[in-house]
Amino acid sequence: MRFGTLDINEIAASAPQIDGYGTEPLSLKNAQVLNVTSEVSAAGSDALLPPAMNPSIPPYVECTVMVCPESPWGPFTTGELRLVGRAGYRPRARTFKTYIDNPQAGAELARRWGFPTVPGKARLHLRHERIVVEIDDDRGRRVLDAEMIDREGISGSDIQYVASMHLARNRADGKLVLVQVDPDYVFSKVERGFSHFINVDQEAWGTKGLLKLTNPIISTYAQCEVILPKIRFICDPNRNALESTVRV
Amino acid sequence: MKFGIFFELSVPRPWTRESERTVYNNALEQAAVADEVGFDYCWAVEHHFLEEYSHCSSPELFLTAVAMKTKRIRVGHGIVVCVPEYAHPIRVAERTAVLDILSGGRLEVGTGRSATWCELGGFRANPDETKKTWDEYVHCLPKMWTQERYSYEGRVWSMPERAILPKPYQKPHPPMWVAVTSPGTEIDAADRGMGALGISYDPLPVQEKKLLEYRRHIQNCEPVGEIINNNCAALTFLFCNEDDKYAIKHGTAMFMQFGLLANQIVMCREAYPTKSYPSAGLLPAVRSQAQGPSDSAGVPEGVAIGDPERILKTLKKWESAGFDSINFLTQAVEMIPQEKVLESLRLFGKHIIPHFKRDQNSERVVSQGVEAGGAR
Repeated sequence: MRFGTLDINEIAASAPQIDGYGTEPLSLKNAQVLNVTSEVSAAGSDALLPPAMNPSIPPYVECTVMVCPESPWGPFTTGELRLVGRAGYRPRARTFKTYIDNPQAGAELARRWGFPTVPGKARLHLRHERIVVEIDDDRGRRVLDAEMIDREGISGSDIQYVASMHLARNRADGKLVLVQVDPDYVFSKVERGFSHFINVDQEAWGTKGLLKLTNPIISTYAQCEVILPKIRFICDPNRNALESTVRV
Repeated sequence: MKFGIFFELSVPRPWTRESERTVYNNALEQAAVADEVGFDYCWAVEHHFLEEYSHCSSPELFLTAVAMKTKRIRVGHGIVVCVPEYAHPIRVAERTAVLDILSGGRLEVGTGRSATWCELGGFRANPDETKKTWDEYVHCLPKMWTQERYSYEGRVWSMPERAILPKPYQKPHPPMWVAVTSPGTEIDAADRGMGALGISYDPLPVQEKKLLEYRRHIQNCEPVGEIINNNCAALTFLFCNEDDKYAIKHGTAMFMQFGLLANQIVMCREAYPTKSYPSAGLLPAVRSQAQGPSDSAGVPEGVAIGDPERILKTLKKWESAGFDSINFLTQAVEMIPQEKVLESLRLFGKHIIPHFKRDQNSERVVSQGVEAGGAR
């Protein structure tokens, strides 16, 4: 079997500090979630996954934008790029960065769930025939453009979101861990459409030019309640997740 | 109750020039031993692009080789993918007829539609369409096999009148099956008079529920072919050894490794939301079986791992539940040494098979002029 070959030391410095694993769940009502997916070349993607994870067959990336009009810290929007792989038996994705437009929310997401937040802004433009995604960094530089084309209603039960693995440093003991974040969703409206990636600035996402988008898969758009959960599992980023995953 | 071996032909990394050849040769040897010791079926999957998990992309060739090396075991497509991007229906009719001839009328034709994004996406097939294309294929195949000349105008494909040749050796045609993974597919099988070929590694209670639904529906079926194949087959793992602890240790390791490999593959439901794939396919089933209730020795329920006595007890439960046959994966990524796999098959033939009724009257193929090798 193949395993990720990422040198964790390369990204350790940018890992957020997490305040232990005891955070309470958080409900984000009236959210919108857009997912745009594409297969990527296997050649480079192994080097973007930590040794704890396996590449999926085929490997693919997800651009995920979440618009949250209500939160304890006010409205915020996140824009992420994630590489889907496996942690043991289960589909899990490494999040490269989480661009966010609300500093307080960004600090809380990093502190409580290990989101790799950086300042920036994500926008969704909803049209009848497509939804346009734009993600900018804090200097206004565009880091990702994508679209979901030919919107079509589907059922929420048809969607299977992949949970994230966030590299974080536990403040109490200084250990680097992969934190599994597996939100729950209560859907009120779900659509799908074709995926179209226009631009991915690899330097901005820290993917070292290794991501080669090859085959668009599909996009989904949901209006839903997102529940960020209690943290249940962590693992050692440098050891096979099958052996190193522990319940917290 | 009948027994079969079921080949995925998984090939572990690191790959050398000899890796695939070794796996294929080992499988052929296993099929020959299975034939000798009394197994009834030898099935082979059709998978594409599934690194390590399955390198069995041309099962018709492999099964032809099996047929040439064996005398009585039936050879089965488990399954032919009935999606136009994979194979044109005429080619499916032709190549299955050839295999039936070469095997002397020993072919079983399993049908299905693939469940992975890796494969469907690789062929650029539309996951929304596969249930419909499968349905059209299975209604056409028996007619292509049995009618002297055939023409067709359908939704997915069409052809002007031609003689599709050769014709199968079995008359009126080989038994047809449907691969059952998604919930409700057992009902699709029953409604069409086709056998339900369980290919998910569900625990016994889950498969039992599907069996009951199948039996209920097949009473009122509209058969797609000229015979009704009222048969329900289950699938699990087999590793038999005189030393119960050795069998459990190594058999369970094989079972877990197979599940791990299966889970690396992107299933359709994961990547492409569609009503056409309500289940994630075999992957969660592998996991649920692995994590399901186990006996005191840690063998998951329904899995045929252990010494002959333990396996016999397990299989009697399958028999009591009413399954007509059970097929076994006997190897995964060559984890079990070949000589141990062969020993396992021989022990099974010696100690297990004689305990199950081999009464021809219990055959569930309802014959409506079925006569292998009869006049055309």
